[in-house]
Amino acid sequence: MIQKRRDTVRIALAYLTTAIFLMPILWMISTSLRPPIDYVSNSISLIPSQVTLEHYRELIRGDLLGKALNSAIVAAGTTILALGAAFPAAYALVRIRFPAKLDLVFLMFVLLVKLTPPISLAIPLYQVLRTLGLLDALLGLIIVYQVYALPFAIWMLLGFVRDVPVEYEEAALVDGASLMRRLRSIVLPVMTPGLIATSVFLVILSWNEFAYALLFIQSPDNFTLPTFIATLITEDETFWGKLSAVGLMASLPILLMVGFVQKGLTRGFGGGIK
Amino acid sequence: MNRNSGALAIALLSPAILLFVALTIYPLIRVFALSLFATDYGFEDATYVGLENYSDLLAHRFFRTAAWNTLVFAILATVSEVGIGLILALMVNGKLPGSRFVVPALLMPYVLSTMVVTAIWRAWFHYDFGYLNNLLRSVDLPAVEWLFDPDIAMLSLVLVDTWQTAPLTFLIILAGLQSVPGEIYEAADVDGAGPRHVFFGITLPLLMPYLFLAALLRSVDAFKIFDKVFALTGGGPGQATETLSMYVYRLGFKFYDVGAASAAAIIMVAISGLLALIYAFKLAGNKS
Repeated sequence: MIQKRRDTVRIALAYLTTAIFLMPILWMISTSLRPPIDYVSNSISLIPSQVTLEHYRELIRGDLLGKALNSAIVAAGTTILALGAAFPAAYALVRIRFPAKLDLVFLMFVLLVKLTPPISLAIPLYQVLRTLGLLDALLGLIIVYQVYALPFAIWMLLGFVRDVPVEYEEAALVDGASLMRRLRSIVLPVMTPGLIATSVFLVILSWNEFAYALLFIQSPDNFTLPTFIATLITEDETFWGKLSAVGLMASLPILLMVGFVQKGLTRGFGGGIK
Repeated sequence: MNRNSGALAIALLSPAILLFVALTIYPLIRVFALSLFATDYGFEDATYVGLENYSDLLAHRFFRTAAWNTLVFAILATVSEVGIGLILALMVNGKLPGSRFVVPALLMPYVLSTMVVTAIWRAWFHYDFGYLNNLLRSVDLPAVEWLFDPDIAMLSLVLVDTWQTAPLTFLIILAGLQSVPGEIYEAADVDGAGPRHVFFGITLPLLMPYLFLAALLRSVDAFKIFDKVFALTGGGPGQATETLSMYVYRLGFKFYDVGAASAAAIIMVAISGLLALIYAFKLAGNKS
């Protein structure tokens, strides 16, 4: 009996806390639909008195889609480049025996990069991009985002490569299958869920990145969504409706992706412990 | 398999190594070199000053304030995020009708871009029309200057960071809770252990590695914090929320004092290296 009552309280608290956690998001949705006159009030209602799509229309007439396209290009480029470099590296680190624990040294270095504050590399990276002529270019962002993306991708893919049974590959090796052949017909198919989960994280990471986008992109035409949002925040904070509409539209693709691969994500988080 | 495969290993690792050399090893060496000079971006008329930038920094009040603020923020954020993550996980673990919707709902703040998050909270913190003050007024409490009161601004940043990332610690801790075998609880039940006993005697000790991992991940991230400070307070009011990342940004990209900014950056790298060591030892410890 006591156990049951305790459970009821716990469940009620869980719902209540979830509701409180979601309030800022509900507020954002509601504000994005409110006419501007509505949010200069002291009401605490989350339901708009009037619904309007003017903020969305205004944004689409502006260049929101251009910024979203920039973000998508950077996210896709970052993900492809990071996977292209991280997958062979992770495969080698798991399958090949290294002398003098060089693999551990490499992994320690990867970890150090992962923990290094991005801002501390910003000054020399600025100079690197300037030398390459890639300041204020999306390709430049794709390259510098590897500072975040590559260590992350290597670390996450390690676990997934380890899960590919080595016996499959050994059998194929006996049959004379080349490395490329084994990767294509055994390793990659088995790892597909892992690669998808890793890609989702990489896309989120680059879609949301702010610091390097702020420092290395100057012309508004090349802004990604976070830098675009930042200009709205600092210029005039009474654009709440517009700001909420951008926020919502910038978040939707990510929310959809996460919903799509939810199971893989939980696994990915748990992977760090194993 | 592949026992004599040095060449293969190098071939497979070379794209990653190439990127690391260009984007981290060279820049780190470069930052270190710059930290020994008094220079702006030109580097042509740089003067070698040895460790002077470092001693100047350590003596400088603004740097010490930024270091102190970073420490305060990291501790407050880590403690509140692990604490709330634990509470959320305990509430959700076990029978929960509709948990298929509750868990993803709780994760939503974590998935939002930090700029979206700061946009929401800038509006919530607004003194006259912000939602938080509206809530306070609706129950006859006085309104609060969330971002402009030096004593409160840091707590406001912690609040936002906690809202956004407690879902991550929640997920890690939930994974830990779900890995505890049910038989242990059944055995405790048979022995007649009370709920407090079960929690402190069984659940908490088994959760320790997960709590530690969550705390480490969060403290490392909290140590780097930049974008929330940039967009919510800009380091203000005064110096109240200036963190080390903000400080490096201001020095390097606003005042073009590249030498001093580099020295501050190297100090940050050293601290994160130390955190990396703890992390590595912990990971190694988990494996054995």
